[in-house]
Amino acid sequence: MKPSEKPGSVGAGLKQRGVTRREFLEFCTAVTAMLALPPSMAKVMAEAISGARRQSVIWLSFQECTGCTESITRSHSPTLENLIFDLISLDYHHTLQAASGEAAERARASAMKDNEGRYLLIVDGSIPMGNPSYSTIAGISNYDMLVETAKGAAAIVAVGTCATYGGLPKADPNPTGAVSVSDIVKDKPIINVPGCPPIPVVMTGVLAHFLTFGSIPELDDLGRPKSFYGETIHDRCYRRPFYDQGKFAESFDDEAARQGWCLFKLGCKGPVTYNACATAKWNDGTSFPIQSGHGCIGCSEPNFWGAGPLYKALSMPVSANTAMLGGAVAAGAAAGVVITWHNRSNKSAAKMAHDKVTVQELTREEK
Amino acid sequence: MSATIEKGINSFKEVIDAPIASFFSSCVHCGLCAEACLFYTETGDAQYTPIHKLEPLRRVWQQEYTLLGKVGKALGLSKPVTDAELAEWEPLVYDSCTLCGRCAMVCPVGNDMTYMIRKMREGMAASGHAPEDLVAATTRAITIGSPMGIKWPAVLAQIKHVQAETGIAVPVEREGADYLVLMSSMEIINFPEYLSALSRIFKQAGVSWTLAQDAFEATNSGIQIGASDLAREIVSRIVVAAERLKVKCVISPECGHAFTALRWEGPNLMGRPFSFEVKHILEVLDELHTAGKLRTKGKDQRPLTYHDPCQIARRGGVIEQPRRLLNEIAEDFREMPDAGVMNWCCGGGGGVSANSRAEPLRLQSFKYKKGQIEATGTQTLITACANCRIVMEEGLEHYHMKVEVIGLTELLAEYLVEEEKT
Repeated sequence: MKPSEKPGSVGAGLKQRGVTRREFLEFCTAVTAMLALPPSMAKVMAEAISGARRQSVIWLSFQECTGCTESITRSHSPTLENLIFDLISLDYHHTLQAASGEAAERARASAMKDNEGRYLLIVDGSIPMGNPSYSTIAGISNYDMLVETAKGAAAIVAVGTCATYGGLPKADPNPTGAVSVSDIVKDKPIINVPGCPPIPVVMTGVLAHFLTFGSIPELDDLGRPKSFYGETIHDRCYRRPFYDQGKFAESFDDEAARQGWCLFKLGCKGPVTYNACATAKWNDGTSFPIQSGHGCIGCSEPNFWGAGPLYKALSMPVSANTAMLGGAVAAGAAAGVVITWHNRSNKSAAKMAHDKVTVQELTREEK
Repeated sequence: MSATIEKGINSFKEVIDAPIASFFSSCVHCGLCAEACLFYTETGDAQYTPIHKLEPLRRVWQQEYTLLGKVGKALGLSKPVTDAELAEWEPLVYDSCTLCGRCAMVCPVGNDMTYMIRKMREGMAASGHAPEDLVAATTRAITIGSPMGIKWPAVLAQIKHVQAETGIAVPVEREGADYLVLMSSMEIINFPEYLSALSRIFKQAGVSWTLAQDAFEATNSGIQIGASDLAREIVSRIVVAAERLKVKCVISPECGHAFTALRWEGPNLMGRPFSFEVKHILEVLDELHTAGKLRTKGKDQRPLTYHDPCQIARRGGVIEQPRRLLNEIAEDFREMPDAGVMNWCCGGGGGVSANSRAEPLRLQSFKYKKGQIEATGTQTLITACANCRIVMEEGLEHYHMKVEVIGLTELLAEYLVEEEKT
């Protein structure tokens, strides 16, 4: 019997659900490409995933809006994203699971016990450190539940900007003292998948990588998979040629905006936002914010909500007020005056020291 | 009293002005100037990249006039410019730069390297790092009156010769004349045709002109060596004579740097505007031609090409005039590639031709001009600078090319309608 036909394997599960091998290979090829792996890896991935036992996954939701879960699940059937639920055994997810109350918590406990050291922990939402009672599940504080569940996890995937950087709950004045997963857990590999919400295929790509190789993909210095967060929206934006030509929309309903010119002056954060929106796009590859006429708001970057006004161009000062700017101008002018005065006195000293050049002085004495 | 490194560095500090500071701070190190320089294109040697020739001056600017540079200097992080370094740079500043200004035309940020080399030479000269031959020429210009050691009696001899040949009197020291005519040593020694041609043209056009006993020499070695104090002394001779004779206009001869020295640097050296105009001979001839006073007959049947002298065309703006004149008298006038404002230098301007040490490099660099002349398929080369002319004649001889070089004024005189004979 092939490994993929073993009862309980992913392959068997897919077959049972009527997913053909061709569809599955297409999925693997797409994921391989998204992860920037060599094309030959698609087959390896298909064999590895279909033969694998469904990966046990525990999904914890803390201070969040369920938007990340919505993003993952609200994809059009039968898309690649849907398949994710055939690849994994989602043992605990309090929005999606049927069990409730004590039965739900028992499911988490038994998954942790049965798969100790092997299960994957997915977290969305930030953790309140101001007061444990701000957010609890079954009477357990978010902090305690995270620490307890993280202990036996093989790796942690922080999904969404709240779990990765603190997100909306952490925005000034941060009333709950919200922190990110990586602020608390220091001894486990953490994959950050930021975005408000993140792109579904980024999620599936990271899981597929983990299932195939048993390891986490290559990450950047902010813990994000490089294959999805390696380039800015701006660098891959189809409106980039307008930016290069200096053609900008000045308002959302001017002729330039209708012509599809660059939205930089309207506050687009594309130049400083690392994400795959411009290439992977949203809603089954339909569009992404800039394509529908609105600038990128930089939702997948640290300090999202605290990084300045959404509609102010990146080149505009964020925090300086008129007095500060005036002061800076005055200080700059004063420094300029001092430097100019110094340089001028330097030059006039040289002029004073000038000995009239005569023909005798064109040569050295020793010559 | 002698040249010292201290005087040189002081001079660098003195010449650095707002344009130089902005040029150095805006250089983007693109290296485009290299491709514009014939000493680089003909040798492929990166040391001939124009902006690199200015490196010691740039370091002085950085150490003396920039905040970071001053801090670096105070902390001993940057080494001061040394005597040995200037000695090493001497051939780059004098032998491999003709002040042709082609690099300034291609610089994407508009840096005028020629302006900077000219200023840098002030410090080089003050520190005793000017080429021996240029020092000797400048000394002759100051003490004798001409870089080639020519005195008034030699000019007088030529005047007599010209008067005998043309039958036209050459006016000398005539007060109130419209034009004061100058010559270059090269024309007095090598090309007497110039004075002869000029007296015939001026006779036909009815121009009132004169020569001056104490200001016949137009060239200015002070400009080439880079000593403004000396350049001022040389140019003031012309200014004094022109004002004494109350002329309306001084005519710069067929010489490149003489035009630059008198037309552009002159009033700045003197520190005041002139009471007379300065024009290049081609400008005057073109004006006479336009006014119908210069009439020619017949056309030269030989295929001709024209070499734009850098100081007259690119740096001086006299580009259309020679072409209008040539079209009047040439049947088959052919332009060289890059003619006009982007012309390629003969390789001997800016004091290079007076510097015998630079000769091998100059002949090697002449290959570019050689190729350009060959591309036109002509065997007659017209120009309007006696220095370009002698440099090209030497180059053509070196490469065994049978090409004749003629001054434009002289060619024009050949096709003059001589009224006496009609």
